[in-house]
Amino acid sequence: MNGRARENRLIGRLLGPAGPELSCERCFAELDRYVELERAGADANAAIPGMRAHLEGCSACAEDHESLRAMLSEQGR
Amino acid sequence: MDEESRRWVERLRPDGRDREEALVELRQLLLRAARFEVRRRCDRLSQIRGGDEDDLAQQSAGDAMVAILSKLDDFRGQSKFTTWAYKFSLYEAAATIRKRAWQGRELPLEAEQWPLLPDPGPAPQGEVEMNDLLAAIREEIETSLTPRQREVLVALALNEVPIDVLAERLDSTRGALYKVLHDARRRLRSALAERGMILDEQMEEHE
Repeated sequence: MNGRARENRLIGRLLGPAGPELSCERCFAELDRYVELERAGADANAAIPGMRAHLEGCSACAEDHESLRAMLSEQGR
Repeated sequence: MDEESRRWVERLRPDGRDREEALVELRQLLLRAARFEVRRRCDRLSQIRGGDEDDLAQQSAGDAMVAILSKLDDFRGQSKFTTWAYKFSLYEAAATIRKRAWQGRELPLEAEQWPLLPDPGPAPQGEVEMNDLLAAIREEIETSLTPRQREVLVALALNEVPIDVLAERLDSTRGALYKVLHDARRRLRSALAERGMILDEQMEEHE
């Protein structure tokens, strides 16, 4: 990663997402529904407002999201 | 709620007819998810090896089992029961591994990771703006945030300490620390806006 990209990432982490976002607790509560909507090709972001912003702002919840998607993809093979 | 999910919930209730069998099946399902997560993450971590991996998966599946049985009434059928259950096991495994990876390490709570800003001088316009923004953020962290907000923001956002690890060391929770981080970010954005820095446009320019 070059210097500019690294600084962009740093600014992103420091300032977080601009819009309203869910809490970690709400994110966890909605994660299973969100991932199933994504997999079904539905508009998960419209169905669960604030989820996408939270996943951009919270790296731990983003990892949980990625893990659940990966797990279901493997199960679905 | 789909038929299969409804059957899971009925069987797992305290008065479920074949509860013992359902518990064994749930345990297997959770262990499968925990092993999946441990395998994915341990590929990247040299601290965790061999027998450790299965211990971590077993422990995570056990913790997930306890959480699921205590929250069974919260399941509303908005997803399949198995998807709902997997997320507990994946969550426990990920948090356990993050903590294990940082075990015995001192947490960097001071601002150590700032990129070195170049000396002022001729530079492309975009770089000047980026450097100005970083310098302003750095100043506002020192002057606009409470000590708690500064500590949490610096550890999580600047030094990239995992939030579960910081929560454990500060005797807090992921949710409580994220709230502090969120408030700190809002305060920074507001302070930068007062300086006339239009953040979103600047960020987008550099995407």
